[in-house]
Amino acid sequence: MSQRNISRRQFMVRATGAMAGLITAMLSVPAVGFLLSPLWQATQELWVTVQGGPIDDIPENLPTARIAAVPLGFGPSTPPVNRVVYVVKTGGQLYAFCNICSHMQCDVHWEPSLDLFECPCHGGLYAMTGRNVGGPPPQPLSQWVHRTYQDAMGHTYLQVANRLVEQI
Amino acid sequence: MPGAGEPEERGDFAGIVPEPVLGPFRRSVAWLDDRTGFTGLLHNALYEAVPKQGGWAYTLGSATLVVILVQFFTGIFLLLDYVPSPTEAYQSLLYLRTNDFFGDWIRGIHLWGAYVLMLLIGIHALRTFISASYKAPRELNWISGVMLFFLVLALAITGAMLPWDQASYWTAVVVTNIPHYLPVIGNGIRALWRGGNFVGPVTLTRTFALHVWVLPALLLGLIGAHLYLLRRHGEFGSWVNYETTTDNPEKEIAERIRHAEPPYPARGSQPKYAVPRETVDFFPDQVFKDTVVSLGLVVLIFVMAVLSGAPLDGPANPATLTYVPTPEWFYLPLDQLLVFFPTALIGFGVFVIVGIGATLMLALPFIDRNPERHPIRRPDVLVPAFFLIFTVIYLAMLGVNRLYNL
Repeated sequence: MSQRNISRRQFMVRATGAMAGLITAMLSVPAVGFLLSPLWQATQELWVTVQGGPIDDIPENLPTARIAAVPLGFGPSTPPVNRVVYVVKTGGQLYAFCNICSHMQCDVHWEPSLDLFECPCHGGLYAMTGRNVGGPPPQPLSQWVHRTYQDAMGHTYLQVANRLVEQI
Repeated sequence: MPGAGEPEERGDFAGIVPEPVLGPFRRSVAWLDDRTGFTGLLHNALYEAVPKQGGWAYTLGSATLVVILVQFFTGIFLLLDYVPSPTEAYQSLLYLRTNDFFGDWIRGIHLWGAYVLMLLIGIHALRTFISASYKAPRELNWISGVMLFFLVLALAITGAMLPWDQASYWTAVVVTNIPHYLPVIGNGIRALWRGGNFVGPVTLTRTFALHVWVLPALLLGLIGAHLYLLRRHGEFGSWVNYETTTDNPEKEIAERIRHAEPPYPARGSQPKYAVPRETVDFFPDQVFKDTVVSLGLVVLIFVMAVLSGAPLDGPANPATLTYVPTPEWFYLPLDQLLVFFPTALIGFGVFVIVGIGATLMLALPFIDRNPERHPIRRPDVLVPAFFLIFTVIYLAMLGVNRLYNL
């Protein structure tokens, strides 16, 4: 029977390494989990009605900026944040664009002189239907997840959820 | 000053050598020195040999350190009032502005300190580059310096995101969006930084944690390493410190090495560049020049802080249709790159170009293996580098022209 001897010194070196590793592992589990938790946090879907009354009187082919107080749906509770909803009626379609540029997420606005949405940061351009038609944007304008409802008087209201149709 | 710094072991000979009679203050100092050895440390710190000629050019590093300390100092005061919450950050700065004596000065010094720091690091790096101080054995001095530069850039951009006025909100939106152009992990990094898909309260608290604790702690550690390496290898200086003046240069260089004071001769250096021709003690010769330059810069920061202050836009408004986000001036070249790389090439433009630039800076001591130190004899490195520097400045000018229509 062969007996493997390790010296007292070797024992201490290895045991110290093992204990330090254990300390590191114990701290790493909660640290890494804590750090990565936003990746698994579900955003609570919350709906709000777009401000400014019914959207019946918004004319065809004229993108109109409305405000919606959108709750984030994640993180420590905070009051809802005002966001822009560009309501566009064109070709029998209703769009509810978010004015976040798909390039660097600057604030896009409707520019009547160009008949396009324009981004002030790097000159991104979008058509009325949200299609990216100029500058660096890689994707069309994204829309808020939205729906309409009619009240008893027959007025149409727009509601948006706190997420975009397509993540940009 | 050989001999003067040797620790005295008189305590062992008490009773043989009579103790001098000291007053209470000197006795306290002697006790403290016995327990800590601080006078020896101080002596080592102050009476280090540094190159004699060109001392004014070698003040930039200590000036950088002084401005960084100014940032730590003013940053602590800003922390006393600042609340890292989207609903309160802006209010807390308004409060600081209207209620605290000199609140605007403190913010102004912190902002202008950051601007001066950025320029100062640039000039410090340029000086080191032109004088080839990054060559053996000082490669890691250069690399730690480049890493310090990156850290300061990160501190500047996270700091710009904290006031939660319009400028800082849109900076936060654009900056936290950039990582998502990285393949595979990009969306995850953005989500981790923002705490979700949109910029919100978690974005602010995470950025705040980076700016006031994570990055400064890394900065202090790296400054320690940078200074340790400086002291280990000695200040290189520049080619003017190594010219030979006799008709027997080899003998002259051998003489220099024989009579070198620590930390010279520099380990692993070519003999010619191991010991400067003439050295002086760090204190008071170099410290005097360092202090003159630092004073001038602190006065400049102070004057700009008082005259121009730190701007505060309107409060953050994600629903704006008219705000034109503009980057801080030191990010203009990067912002201009974004204009040039449309659609599919954005990731390439942002990460490959910037990555190549950062790698070139870090790897410079290993790319440039030419033993020459005189700038005239190093066109192979200096010409491309200056071409790159002018390209960066040109990009910034294009950005200024695009954003401000000058």
